[in-house]
Order: sequence, then C-alpha cells, then structure tokens
Amino acid sequence: MTDERVAQHVANELLEVPPSSAISLQMSVDHYLEVLRGVLDMFASKRQVDIIYVTSTISFESIKRVMEALDIDTSRVYFVDCISHLMMGASSGEMDEQVTLVESPTMLENVMLKTEYLIRLSEAEEKLVVIDSINSLAIHNNNWILSEFLHILVSGLRARNVLTVILSVEEHSTPEIANMVNLVCDHGIRTDTKEG
Amino acid sequence: MAQTSAERGRCVTGVEGLDTVLYGGIPRSNTVLLTGSCGTGKTSLALEFLIHGAAKGENSLFLSVTEDAEKMLANIIPYNFFDDDFVKSGKLVFIDLPVMYERLGMTKAELTMEEIDLLVTAIVSLAKELDTKRLVIDSITSVCYKLKTSEKIRDFILKLSKSLSALDCTSILVSEVSTQSSTYSTFGVEEAISDGIVLMANMERRGDLLRTLQVIKMRGTMHSRAKYVLDLTPEGVLLVPLLKGGSTRA
Repeated sequence: MTDERVAQHVANELLEVPPSSAISLQMSVDHYLEVLRGVLDMFASKRQVDIIYVTSTISFESIKRVMEALDIDTSRVYFVDCISHLMMGASSGEMDEQVTLVESPTMLENVMLKTEYLIRLSEAEEKLVVIDSINSLAIHNNNWILSEFLHILVSGLRARNVLTVILSVEEHSTPEIANMVNLVCDHGIRTDTKEG
Repeated sequence: MAQTSAERGRCVTGVEGLDTVLYGGIPRSNTVLLTGSCGTGKTSLALEFLIHGAAKGENSLFLSVTEDAEKMLANIIPYNFFDDDFVKSGKLVFIDLPVMYERLGMTKAELTMEEIDLLVTAIVSLAKELDTKRLVIDSITSVCYKLKTSEKIRDFILKLSKSLSALDCTSILVSEVSTQSSTYSTFGVEEAISDGIVLMANMERRGDLLRTLQVIKMRGTMHSRAKYVLDLTPEGVLLVPLLKGGSTRA
C-alpha cells in the first residue's frame, strides 16, 4: 500500500464506525506518519472532532512538531503527555494550554483521570481519544495492569460516546499485546505493506 | 409503608465519582468523617461539596479552624463551577472558628464541659440562623485538641451531630491523621461516632504517589468499599478505580 493510500484507508475505515467504537489500529513503523495524517487530518479535522492524544512514545512537543510538519491542524488536539516528566523535560509543557502532563506512563490511573478531565472540558459534539501507543505503555507496565487499564478506559469512553483509537506497532507487538487490544476493541484496522 | 434506608433522601455531593460510590450521595443529615493525612485532598473535596450545595440553592457553611476565610476563598477560585455570587448572596459562608472561640470567651487551652455545650449551641444556632443544609468543620482534629479527653470529644461530636441532623443538615468533619496511622482519627473516638467514614490517602506504588479515596462506612446506604484514585482538577475531584494489577504486583 502506498503512503497516500494508507492515510486514505485509515480515514475511510474510521468514517464507517459508530462514534462509541474502540478501534485497534495496527501499523508498520514505516506508516506512522501516514496513520497520523489519516486519523488526525483526513478523519478528525474534517469532522470537527476534538482529539485527546495520549502520547507515551515521544513528548508532546516532538509529536506536535511532527503534526505541524505534516500540515495537520493541531488547534483541536489536546495532549496527555506521559513521557516529558520522565525525560525531565516537563517545564515547557506546563506552559502549554494544550498539554496535560502525567508524571510517568506507569501512572495509568492518572492517564484515565487526565483523559476524563479533557473530555469534560471539550465542548465538541464528537471526541476522539488516541492512545499512542500500546507498545510503549507495555515497556513500563505489565500485561495485567495494562489489560485492566484498557478495559476500564475503553468502557468509560464508550459510555460517553467517545471514539477510541489504540495504535500498535506491528514490529514491536507480541501475541499478548495483540490479544489484550483485541479484547477491548470492536474493529481493527491494519496498514499492511501488502495490499489490503 | 415505612421508608427504608434505600429510599432515604440523599445529599448529592456533586462529586460525580463519590456519588456513584455512595449509590446517589450521602444519606441526608448524616455526619461524615472525611479523614486522611496531609496533601490528600480533604479540604478540596469538602469545599467542592459545599460549592455544589450552594449551586443547588442549599445554604452551605464552612467552619475553618486552621486557615482563615480569605485564604480559603483564594483556593476556591480555580474551580470552573465556582461563582462569586455564592459568597455574596450568603449561600456559601465561611466562618473562622477561632473568632467564635474568642467571642465566646474560650481562651483557655482546654474547654470545660460547660464550654463544650456552649460551643455546640453556638454552632447549631449559627447553622439554624443561616438555614444551613451543608456544613464542614475543617478540621475536627483541631477542635478535639481543645477538648483533650475521649469523653469530651465523644460528648461534643454526639451533641453536634444530633443537633445538626435535627436541622436536616448534612455535615462533613475533616479529620487529620498521620501517614502511618492505623486508625481513622487522631483520638480514635471521632470514627466511632460518625455516620460515615471517607478515607483519603497517599498510596505509593513503584515510586509513584497516587491520591486515593475509599468509603469505609456510610450508614443508611449501600456503598462501594473499593479504593479509587483521584485527581484534583478545576472541574472538581475526579475518581477512577485503582488498578488491581498494580497493587498486587508492586
């Protein structure tokens, strides 16, 4: 699948699902930028969706720069950053109104609390929560607690009619992680290098 | 048919998670001990309880022992749902208890039984005069330090809670305990007399410090006894369940 088709494929799939769904989005590491474009630009921006972007992979500053480089409108993106504190680089994050910091990716309850807080603040009719990524959360948490976290988080978001997209990187995934995500998701999107 | 405990009127705290834990709120006119060590969010939760009350039109009274009203107000402002009019209109009233002691001539370190009666009468008269439906004393521990003995503490809390209950007033008594405490109150008496105990704590897990809340007892209602993690936000106190995987595999 070409890069452009990856983004379109992701956006088309998301447009088909009901708002309270949980989506497993499994991608090749090479497709990361196109997945961002598909989810945030071609899907969310077009529908005036407020996005709560939980990042445990790279800091919000880095991911925001990537988004801006891709010409993605970040005005409706609110970050829950689980990594800046850990990297001891939280000071500038505190100043940005679009970011809420969680001290560590091990504080999964706080990830839920910050997500809930941002959902309450959002006045948009449609909301999307993106977890980037389950693999980086798995570096810091065991499968038991991660599985419990996903179950509670997704159930709560479903009840609030919020769409959840859980990103996982194919190259870094394990059967346990795949099972855990599949258990809470009702739809899967893959960005295989092959056609499909 | 007689009213069962399940049908008893509720004082909806307005803290969404807590109301869920309590199956709808604190049974009306209960006296609840809100206990925990420092930095666990007791005062914030108690203030939110009063602000939501004022927003619903219920007169709310904060009796402060340790902090003056002005400082208290400065702490309220970050709440998105706080309105200055609550204070201006008298729906939300702050009183410094040390000022009350002074006016009642209670200058000694320890109160006598007569002075205890006088203090209860003064608080209840104030609550009656203001038609108070929600009352917070922050903290009851500081008041207890002036009572000294278990008998006096028991007498004070029993009389106060009975009189406030008669006014249909739901009360929260904030209690301070040390981090290592195995009891829910400093003097061990407060917890036995209260209708409910809400325990707030700091829980360390693999180096992370989480604020937790647990309802230990609440007369007049079913309730969850599970531990919840909380966050203090401008939208108020938010709660989520404590993840068990973490607590069993430290």
